[in-house]
Amino acid sequence: MSTPSRRFFLGGALGAAGLAAAGGAGFSIARADEPEAQAAGRGTVPFYGAHQAGIATPAQDRLAFAAFDVTSANRDDLRTLLARWAAAASQMAAGLPIGAVETSPDAPPIDTGEADGLDASKLTITVGFGPSLFDHRFGFAPKRPAALADIPALPGDALIEDISNGDLCVQACANDPVVAFHVIRNFARLARGTAVMRWSQLGFGRTSSTSTAQATPRNLLGFKDGTRNIKAESEDEMREFVWVGAETDQPWMKGGSYAVTRRIRMRIESWDTDYLSDQEKVIGRSKTSGAPLTGSGEFDPPELDKRAKDGSHVIDVNAHIALASPLTNANKKILRRGYSFTDGIDQATGLLDAGLFFIAYQQDPRTQFVPIQRKLGQHDLLNEYIQHTSSGVYAVPPGLTGPGDYYGKALFA
Amino acid sequence: MTPLARPALVATGVCALVSVLTACSSSGGSPKTATSSDSKVANVTITAAKGCSVDHDSFAAGGVTFKITNQDATAVTEVELLDGEQIIGEKENVAAGLTGQFAVSVDAGKYTLYCPGANPEKSTITVTGKAAAVDTNLATLLTQATGEYKVYVDRQVGYLLSAVKTLSNAVHGTDLAAAQKAYKLARPFYEKIEPVAETFVSSTQNLDANIDARAGDVPDAQWSGFHRIEKGLFADRSLAGLDHFADKLVTDVTTLRTKTAGLTYKAPDLANGAQELLDEVASSKITGEEERYSHIDILDMANNVEGSQQAFADLQPALALIDSGLAARISTAFGSLTTLLNHYRTGADASGYVLYSTLNDTDRRALAAAVKAVQEPLSQVASKVANA
Repeated sequence: MSTPSRRFFLGGALGAAGLAAAGGAGFSIARADEPEAQAAGRGTVPFYGAHQAGIATPAQDRLAFAAFDVTSANRDDLRTLLARWAAAASQMAAGLPIGAVETSPDAPPIDTGEADGLDASKLTITVGFGPSLFDHRFGFAPKRPAALADIPALPGDALIEDISNGDLCVQACANDPVVAFHVIRNFARLARGTAVMRWSQLGFGRTSSTSTAQATPRNLLGFKDGTRNIKAESEDEMREFVWVGAETDQPWMKGGSYAVTRRIRMRIESWDTDYLSDQEKVIGRSKTSGAPLTGSGEFDPPELDKRAKDGSHVIDVNAHIALASPLTNANKKILRRGYSFTDGIDQATGLLDAGLFFIAYQQDPRTQFVPIQRKLGQHDLLNEYIQHTSSGVYAVPPGLTGPGDYYGKALFA
Repeated sequence: MTPLARPALVATGVCALVSVLTACSSSGGSPKTATSSDSKVANVTITAAKGCSVDHDSFAAGGVTFKITNQDATAVTEVELLDGEQIIGEKENVAAGLTGQFAVSVDAGKYTLYCPGANPEKSTITVTGKAAAVDTNLATLLTQATGEYKVYVDRQVGYLLSAVKTLSNAVHGTDLAAAQKAYKLARPFYEKIEPVAETFVSSTQNLDANIDARAGDVPDAQWSGFHRIEKGLFADRSLAGLDHFADKLVTDVTTLRTKTAGLTYKAPDLANGAQELLDEVASSKITGEEERYSHIDILDMANNVEGSQQAFADLQPALALIDSGLAARISTAFGSLTTLLNHYRTGADASGYVLYSTLNDTDRRALAAAVKAVQEPLSQVASKVANA
């Protein structure tokens, strides 16, 4: 076991500050003492199981995400790649290098080495397949799930094709950014000659809590995000909204899920000059407490029908939480697992290039993400301050059963 | 320009060699079983619990096929057969859940089956009797490879010297267009053998920098060589003041020829040289920094690749014995890269290629990916041919 890294110390300190700001909303996880706060972010998450880790796992602090395009048309090359990824992922999830760093003096190290000596930091690696993987190249067309439909054009889209979609995706989450990036780097290396990285995105702070044991974090708008998110402890909701079950047309997807990713750039400078009550109107919540404008506590259910004395809705009908609420979406929910990102500044304008890298898991994007976003994209008051610049949808197969199992093994059968 | 004879020969060479063996290397998802009494087949099973084990450890001399099944050892992806320290056969990419095989021809003696990362990772194989004579002795092939490569390098340096003299004469003359053309005709020879020049770097002399430094690589006062001349010819578009640089280039290349004449090579030198040439492409050619005034970067790339491919082709007969799968993978990747480069050929420029400045980001990215596809498997070669 290595000593706590300085990097982690900083992460822990930020976490503590965030909790203090949350004002003690009744959560018991706020730890004042440093060692325990550190321990919470360390250790391993089981790699094998019914579902891939990184969906129901309490959201870690850091994200490294990448999409790949397969360049080889050879089915065996793809199988080798997916088996090598699976083996490497199991090693890294256990806090181990993918292979020796020091082998032959004449050969490059098998593992790139930057995570050597670092704790596993709750690393999870989640692999998915894009719609394009099911084209003519590998004979997978008959195995394409109906739910893996291309995301249709949605109102307000400003998508950049070069940073959208892809044959394969990898979500690496950990409480240490080096540990997360190490996955993407080594996956890209294992892929060379078979697949190339199409685009990638780093995220530096979780914007959703996916467990009742986590406090609700804030996104870069400064608002709490994901208060009413699906929590992993709610097994009924996970079964109803997240995991693929008997309803699927493709039995190989049972126990899997569908990921939708959207890089949502925020017009931060404009938002920062918007006056407080308008910001709160746009979101539908109080900025500091996170309470809906109809309540006083963060977890008070929003009362969307409540009217003010002048007859207007207390929560604007086009406020973000009103449009995104299950109440206005046929009771449909999604599991959000997004991260704040920044890619520096836009050199042309000098404006910050930052926002939310939205990731959502669900049973069927056609009835969950797509209709919700169609409505948001059209009416959300927040649209003045955001822009969707990248989009992806991926079938995330079920968990690997054990060593020797690999991603998509059923597709090669 | 010399035609590259080797790669054309290589394809048939591999087939001939493979036919000597009992089977070609292959991968697959469904394990094939063989009877344990088959003295020509070794079934290797890799598990996390028991490491790397073989169903029997004694064989008659001749061809032996190793059939590998990696059940659940996530840290193990390859199996090698060693004669002492020398790898004489191997199979890569046998990740947990996959199977694969390789074949070797062995004489009497003790060999080590090595599965890096397994626990235990080594076991001993005993071979008795004598194999039918085969003319594919690994050591002979490797010696042949280094000999061939030396001939190649010496020849290219000879061509380089004469092309540089032509360039110098043109620079001393009055015809700018002729000098520009001479520049483009001289570049390929250096780009094919650049890693060899890089070996002559000492605290007092850096031949590579003298010959090939770009603006900013060395202090301005010391800047000479190809790219200083390139700046005069293509940016300043004048022959004025270049005579001195042309003379010095001839002197430096003459020194290079003297020094390379005394060199001998080891097999890993060829592999590392081949790798360095591709690193050149990936680091400075893809960015367009190398030929920043003349924009003939594709000519440089094509010749880096040709030099790299030549070194690999010299090693290929030996490598095909050691790991036919790896050899084939590299060969295919070189083929794709060359096809991509050929796409940019044109008669409209003396370099034989379109100017690099006309490529867009998508083109550059495709080139970079094709280079990386060769680099990764090629980086494995040095360790395979070491210890010969």
